Amino acid sequence: MVYLLCLVLFCVGMYGVLTQRNLIKIILSLAVAESAVNIFLVLVGYRARGVAPIESAAVPHGTFAAAAVDPLPQAMVLTAIVIGLGVLALSMVIAMRLYHRHGTYDITKINELRG
Amino acid sequence: MKHLATEEREGMSTIVGTVTHWVCGFIILYGAYIVLYGHLSPGGGFAGGVILACGFMLLMLAYGKRRLVAALPLSTASVLDCVGALGFWLLAVLGLLIGGGVFFKNFIPHGVRFRLCSAGIIPLANIAIAVKVCASLVLVLVALSVLRVKARGSDEDFVTDIDEV
Repeated sequence: MVYLLCLVLFCVGMYGVLTQRNLIKIILSLAVAESAVNIFLVLVGYRARGVAPIESAAVPHGTFAAAAVDPLPQAMVLTAIVIGLGVLALSMVIAMRLYHRHGTYDITKINELRG
Repeated sequence: MKHLATEEREGMSTIVGTVTHWVCGFIILYGAYIVLYGHLSPGGGFAGGVILACGFMLLMLAYGKRRLVAALPLSTASVLDCVGALGFWLLAVLGLLIGGGVFFKNFIPHGVRFRLCSAGIIPLANIAIAVKVCASLVLVLVALSVLRVKARGSDEDFVTDIDEV
């Protein structure tokens, strides 16, 4: 059920990428789709009636591995979030350079290849 | 009421400036807490580094770019960027040399569990990562908002005037 919500969020992001005319809105929709994918990856590692994978003095060590949700997708998603941040920064810089060149953020008006 | 001239005033209004003056130190402290307790609770190097960079960005939003450059000059940020990366590499190489032949080995004794000084090189790696991430994000945010591209007619076009900042 929650996976369907992730799919809906991803579709919202994709709708934004496909239909928006402003370049900044396209980039922000891409960030929304990226968040949807990250949430989905974390949800894949869920275990029914599981605890957060953080050891503390209160949790007995023997049963911790059997009771915790999978921490590996969470570690991978942390890396994916960092990558998304880098991609977002680079795409914003490219959008600003396009604005300096063409004077507009409207993608229907940026249609001349210049040197 | 007469409008005050806003051309010479950098940053935002007095209320924003006052609140920032009180809160910015706490943001830096909170970021340092997230970094140092990264091996005990969620957070670690990257999250703490982002919070530290947000503290510096708050300085820039509320007071203007001069205050940010006074607090953290861009050359210092660039040097800290490299220092963080080289520190992380140094920890890994020390694991190779001292720990016995395995790259990135945890050669510091692990200590007592759930204490602040435990888990070997992980807190030190967190600090290195946080320094690098904070410096990188401050540089990225400055490059996005403050630096300008010189006009096409000048002798060096597409060069951002970093010397002015």
